[in-house]
Amino acid sequence: MAERWQDEAWAKDMWWSGKTTRRRLLGLSATAAGALGASMLVPAPWRAAFGQAKPFKIGVLQPLTGTAAAGGKTALVGTQLATDRINRSGGINGRPVELVVADYESKPDVGRRKAEKLLVEDKVDIGEGGYLSNVCLACMPVFEEHKTIWMIGVCLDTTITTSKCSRYVFRPFDYAPSQAVAFAPYLVNKLAKKWHIVFLDYAWGQTTRDAYVEQIKKAGGEIVGTTGILLGAPADTVTSSVSNIRGNFDGVFAIMFGANAVTFTNAAYELGLFKKAKYAGDGAVAESTHLATLGQKIEGFTGVNRYIPVLTKPLDTPAHKKFFDEARVKLKQIDPSGPDPDRYVQSNFEAMNFLKLGIQKSGFRDREDSMKLIEALEGMEVKEGDDFPQGDKTLRKEDHQAFLRQFIFDIHNNKHRLLEVVAKDKTVVPPACTFAKA
Amino acid sequence: MIPFDQILVQIVNGLVNGMILALVASGLTLIFGIMDIVNFAHGELFMLGAYIGTTVFLTTGNFWVALVGSVVAMAVIGAVLQVAALRPLVGRDPLTTILATFGLSLVIQNYALWQYGPVPRRIIAPVTGHFPLFYVEYPVYRLVIALLSAAIIGGLYLFMKHGKHGIWIRATTQDRVMAAAMGIPVPWVHTVVFAIGAAMAAASGVLYGPTIGVNHAMGFDFTLRAFVVVVVGGMGNLGGSILASIFVSLLESLASIWVSPAQAIIVAFVALILTLLVRPTGLFVPTPK
Repeated sequence: MAERWQDEAWAKDMWWSGKTTRRRLLGLSATAAGALGASMLVPAPWRAAFGQAKPFKIGVLQPLTGTAAAGGKTALVGTQLATDRINRSGGINGRPVELVVADYESKPDVGRRKAEKLLVEDKVDIGEGGYLSNVCLACMPVFEEHKTIWMIGVCLDTTITTSKCSRYVFRPFDYAPSQAVAFAPYLVNKLAKKWHIVFLDYAWGQTTRDAYVEQIKKAGGEIVGTTGILLGAPADTVTSSVSNIRGNFDGVFAIMFGANAVTFTNAAYELGLFKKAKYAGDGAVAESTHLATLGQKIEGFTGVNRYIPVLTKPLDTPAHKKFFDEARVKLKQIDPSGPDPDRYVQSNFEAMNFLKLGIQKSGFRDREDSMKLIEALEGMEVKEGDDFPQGDKTLRKEDHQAFLRQFIFDIHNNKHRLLEVVAKDKTVVPPACTFAKA
Repeated sequence: MIPFDQILVQIVNGLVNGMILALVASGLTLIFGIMDIVNFAHGELFMLGAYIGTTVFLTTGNFWVALVGSVVAMAVIGAVLQVAALRPLVGRDPLTTILATFGLSLVIQNYALWQYGPVPRRIIAPVTGHFPLFYVEYPVYRLVIALLSAAIIGGLYLFMKHGKHGIWIRATTQDRVMAAAMGIPVPWVHTVVFAIGAAMAAASGVLYGPTIGVNHAMGFDFTLRAFVVVVVGGMGNLGGSILASIFVSLLESLASIWVSPAQAIIVAFVALILTLLVRPTGLFVPTPK
């Protein structure tokens, strides 16, 4: 009997046992290397238009694999959409934009490592992207250490522009305190007085919960209880958690996104929670990418969001229509179902346009000019148009937090329906940031 | 004081969740018992099965056809994977197969993301309706999943106990060299077992799909928890894994009454550590005499 099981006579014909000669291996390697080299010689489409102009290298951090990949992929579409548009229209100050995309696998430690790599090895001029708040928080010190600007594209954790703010980090979209100020009066006056909050138990969920607790109470409502659900919690754990929600409340407020939002809505609907109480929450619960999956279960949900894919007034502008159509084409390339754009596409698209305007204004050339770009971005006011289809914005100097209008909506016939627009000025909350001394 | 009805609701949750977990874990433990392969790609087979289910469902509009179609397709895919990726590694260091299945899991996950896109897919439950269970309205479909899981596991048990090929599988588990000497085609037994494991993962994926929405990351949770129950139940012990699934799910459900959901998940891992410390062969394995 043979010593190794697979050397047995009866096992011989079970797998390929041909020989790979050195000559054959070398031949294949040379062919592969040639093909790779040839593909590298073909210039990127924008290179022909810009001649020898040195591109601005923008390092983009997104979770393209792992639990948050779904959101990361749509977020990247926003960045690419804006970049294509910038390069098509002559670049920035005659220089093209080149994206260096890093996948942080939905993990903070990988995010930090990839941020280091972008800054040290790839030598990017500016950073963009984000998505998971815990990753943003982990990477912020890296950008600060390398004195490089990071224009965050998604992360919503409040502390990013409050207690942990950084002179090098900008958030060109809303955050929970603004959303809560905009939404709480509607929640209390038009939906329910007593609320139970269900939140994702990590950085963003916790700070958003705190913001809503404060504002709902301020608006005259009451918080009866809160339930934390672990980021990426298995469905049966979510079912157990939902089964424990009981008490005297008439509204359930969910602070969730991505697969967690789908799992929670499924479980809460199945256990009849929405028959007892109104269902409302952060707009991320009902992003366009979730609607088909949730079907009837999300019907009647009321939320607040900086972006909703509707083309009715005041979002019936040519700029928004253009953005909407272009984003849909691009999204279809990554998802055959062709979803409508969501807030992740919008905020990354606009983040890149903030950078474009800042670079144009400051004459930024590379990382050495970071401070010039920071000064150009601080306090920047932008108007609704092709660069900012969502609406006007102010990027506040004191904390690098943007303020913008909010949309209160509900889900009607499996589509977003705009109920109210909260003006930009009504979403402003006082700054709570002290930048570290340079 | 915790209301008694809340405890009862959580016991029902624990039993239902336990049966679903048992279906996933039984495929995993079967593969380990026969092939000594710790299949890190099992969760991805669960996920891929669910995706194939959505495709068949979209084409036919029938959940049961989707279930059967997915099971058959995944059995074939499982067989191909075993022959192409795992068979050449038989007899090598166990670490090699761990790395190979881990690699497979990454490939399958990213394939699903590329093929189906990031938007979660929908598969509609064939049974709707609720029944009152104290203060909640319990969905009938969750009971259907539990019963179907039990039926599939029962079918597997009968096949293993009485079927000719089931006997071949048991013989190979006990002594693969002797089984080969008796004329049992051991490599093909391995292939069939892997195909059965993949098919069971697919069945759980399709059954569970309507309650969570099908997405590329759905397999990860199950892989981790299925490994916990396989260890707690005794590696390669089918009955032990089923009991451990129910035990761990009950523990988690009941724990969620007193502690936060995040801490409730820890209970499963505490059970795992205690098992490894106190009874490494598994809690539900008879003590050798």
